[in-house]
Amino acid sequence: MKETKEKILSIQNLVIKFTLRGKVLTAIRDVSLDLYKGESLAIVGESGSGKSVLMKSIMGLLDKNGYIAQGQIFYQGEDLAQFKTEKDWLKIRGKEIAMVTQDPMTSLNPLKTIGKQIEEAVVLHQGLKGNEAYDKVLQLLRDVGIQDPERRYKQYPHEFSGGMRQRIVIAIAIACNPKILICDEPTTALDVTIQAQILNLLKTLQEKYQLTTIYITHDLGVVAKVADRVAVMYAGDVIEFGKTDEIFFNAKHPYTWALISSLPQLGEKGKELYSIKGTPPNLFKEIKGDAFAPRNPYALKIDFVETPPYFKVSDTHFAKTWLLHPNAPKVEPPEVLKKFFEEGRLYAHGG
Amino acid sequence: MIEYIGKRLLQSVVTLFIIVTAVFLLLRLLPEEGYLGAAADKMSPEQQEIYLTNLGLRDPILVQLGNFYVDLLKGDFGKSITYRTDVPVMDIISDKIMYSLTFGVAAVIVSILIGVPLGILMAQFKGRWLDRLGTGYIVFIVAVPSMVYFLLIQVYITDFFNLPMLFDEDRPITWLLPLISLSLGPIASYAMWMRRYMVDELNKDYIKLARAKGVKERTIMFRHVLRNAFIPLSQYLPATILLTITGSIYIESLYSIPGMGGLLVDAIQRQDNPLVQALVLIFSSLGIIGLFLGDVLMALVDPRIKFGKGESVR
Amino acid sequence: MGLYSEEIRNITDKSMEQLFEFASQDEDQAEKIGYSNYSYWRSTWKSFLKNKVAVTLLILVLALVLFVLIQPYLPNQKSPTEIYLDPDTGYQARNVKPNDDFWFGTNSIGQDLWSRIWAGTRTSLFIGVVVAVVEAIIGITIGALWGYSRKLEGAITHVYNVFENIPTTIVLILMSLILRPSISTIIIAMCITGWVEMARFIRNQIVILRDREYNLASRTLGTPTSRIIMKNLLPYLISIIMLRMSLAIPFAIGSEVFLTYIGLGLPVSEPSLGNLINEGRVLMMSPDLRYQLLFPSIVLSFITISFYIIGNAFADAADPKNHV
Repeated sequence: MKETKEKILSIQNLVIKFTLRGKVLTAIRDVSLDLYKGESLAIVGESGSGKSVLMKSIMGLLDKNGYIAQGQIFYQGEDLAQFKTEKDWLKIRGKEIAMVTQDPMTSLNPLKTIGKQIEEAVVLHQGLKGNEAYDKVLQLLRDVGIQDPERRYKQYPHEFSGGMRQRIVIAIAIACNPKILICDEPTTALDVTIQAQILNLLKTLQEKYQLTTIYITHDLGVVAKVADRVAVMYAGDVIEFGKTDEIFFNAKHPYTWALISSLPQLGEKGKELYSIKGTPPNLFKEIKGDAFAPRNPYALKIDFVETPPYFKVSDTHFAKTWLLHPNAPKVEPPEVLKKFFEEGRLYAHGG
Repeated sequence: MIEYIGKRLLQSVVTLFIIVTAVFLLLRLLPEEGYLGAAADKMSPEQQEIYLTNLGLRDPILVQLGNFYVDLLKGDFGKSITYRTDVPVMDIISDKIMYSLTFGVAAVIVSILIGVPLGILMAQFKGRWLDRLGTGYIVFIVAVPSMVYFLLIQVYITDFFNLPMLFDEDRPITWLLPLISLSLGPIASYAMWMRRYMVDELNKDYIKLARAKGVKERTIMFRHVLRNAFIPLSQYLPATILLTITGSIYIESLYSIPGMGGLLVDAIQRQDNPLVQALVLIFSSLGIIGLFLGDVLMALVDPRIKFGKGESVR
Repeated sequence: MGLYSEEIRNITDKSMEQLFEFASQDEDQAEKIGYSNYSYWRSTWKSFLKNKVAVTLLILVLALVLFVLIQPYLPNQKSPTEIYLDPDTGYQARNVKPNDDFWFGTNSIGQDLWSRIWAGTRTSLFIGVVVAVVEAIIGITIGALWGYSRKLEGAITHVYNVFENIPTTIVLILMSLILRPSISTIIIAMCITGWVEMARFIRNQIVILRDREYNLASRTLGTPTSRIIMKNLLPYLISIIMLRMSLAIPFAIGSEVFLTYIGLGLPVSEPSLGNLINEGRVLMMSPDLRYQLLFPSIVLSFITISFYIIGNAFADAADPKNHV
């Protein structure tokens, strides 16, 4: 991981809403997030937390009924939140920011050869044509680990397995020559054995092409493998962020505790697995205070009244929880986590 | 791919066989006067019996069925009773086929040329006035029995533009109205189908990836969605042609076009059973043949079938 | 929503201190899901009402049906079959244009068109409704068996193939030829060809739904079959059933028009929209008499279009995906 502190993307106070059958749903409720050049950031959260929406918004791929109500997205001196036309976004899509999508089974055009689909990106973004483009495609196929590229070029998506298709999707993303690569749950749809391969591939490519990557995932295992920094999202807000070590071994927000506690690895044999009670709140309604409060066993009365600001835990680690306020009672994370944190710290500083 | 075509061929032949047999049996129920024709009055009941027996109509059903297939393979459909007495039915029909076929093919071409772009536009401007207009048109065409608007068109348009009402081989202007009328239905079908297809496809994942790649929306629409649309389109193309020929029954009557459909109407009204039989069998088979040809066409064009062992995604 | 600042540190007077106590945990609150209160039929009805065109048409159609049923009992109505004589000449009042006496005029043999049209509408609607209902019953039964019973599946598939591939037109013609034209013939003929579509839809839905995961889930939870059918399957099926039934009516009317044209329709003594249109067709060459074609055509178009739109609107409304 490079220690350059240069910000490449900065999201400030972003609010995104959707109109759905006459009602308004607030999917992103004031998110501020910075992305540093060369790093690998993971955005973690349950379904519905807003992680996908957030990423789509920085590429202008929100559904038609969604819009940015407030906030800025600063990239290379421009505010992407102000972009209105397709022409504006075409400057960004692929060229600057590319995406690896979630489900490789449906992400490729079934009626076009995979070679042509990669070539489309090459022609569009690398200014190559004809034979040069063809050669480039072959090279990309080799980069992502597909053997015998000449033969594979002419084949159709249905002739590949899931893992191979994901490699093709990655090749397409790389072909765009982007600065930022967003990986939207890149391994969720794949077998466990393939997952590690794909993650390794992404890490290799990140280094080779000097990319800044964002991983969207709900799988903490993935986070542990690839991320330098982590941002935890809940109900459209980033409730905690920091370096991976800090989040795993010194999390401060009860939701993060709950997330980590839910890892099956932390379960004790014979006992019930930990799970968070209840469900995420209804985003059609305005949320007062801390969104997680109703499900939070450590909730304070103020959690229902006032939304907490970010409290600093370290220069790189912040959490939005009133528990960090000096007036708050001292709260220890649950037993099972304490052990985990201890072991983690030992491991980080020791072995 | 060969496997696929082979399988479809087998299926089609079996279905065809079942249908032809079923139709044949049904046709046995036609009133017997239809076999006697004008001569009926002059024959005594005994003479009628002898006549019918000679035609083989008193044989046990299975024998009749057997004879029927033998004749079928010889191309013998019997002789017409009333139309032009004693002329083999096949001769009569073959005179007329060209007309129906020409109109059918022409109508389908026109329908595709108008219907497909209309569907695309409707999908692109979904919800706006063009879409609403198109939908209104489709609703009208689909809901109102075609007979009704065919009639109204014939009556009022010919008046308005001072055109002759009936078809005349030598005056091209008379070809226009029948062609337009015949195309109205298929235009609605193609437009409706195309619109639905476009709207569905534009929401699919691979299109989202294409957008994320930075491909222009317009390019997506043409190079991805439209191209893909031709595959299912080609599957139904032969069937549409053949079905349009069947649908032309009304038009041919209204405009006095000497085609197969008009012939059928005539034959029914004259109670000419052999002729009715032959035509009914032909019309019934057209559907299956069309579907089969469509599947073949699609097999040639859809890479999933060409290069895979999979079934078509029907 | 900025970072923790000094100001917040300073807002710590006595009243605020209370806020930093633990809140009581309401277990039930935690389990409460955001959305509830959903009734399938209510949502369907509400969705349907939002479609103003469909609602208007529904009202108009109901008004029409009502009118058509009570029309013979209204004052000043004439008989649809009686041949009227022109009081001046003593001859048949043929082809009289619409006037005060004959509101829609008369036809070529002197019958009152106004009463004939409504009588014809009654007949056509009757045929349409009966066909729709019978088709539905047959179609649903066969479709359900077809989809649910793995034993009967093969046999029914073959039967279906045969019926599906013979063009409806042909069957109608043959039926009429064989059975002599009458109302029952038309009804029978249309039912024989019509049940096919309904059966196929029902069967497809049942096959899909039978094996869908949420149904498997219900079964593993021990839900009784009747409840599975009522709550899981029926809502999907209703929308299809209503759609097909409402489309059956325009189709039935259309078939009737076709048969009449060929000469296999109802006898002239039984007025029907098909008959009337054909009578009008015969006269279409003379412009003044075109009203005989126009009036039945308009009525027929209105009925068919309305049923089509209403049917589609209801199917859309009943689709759970469109519910809020």
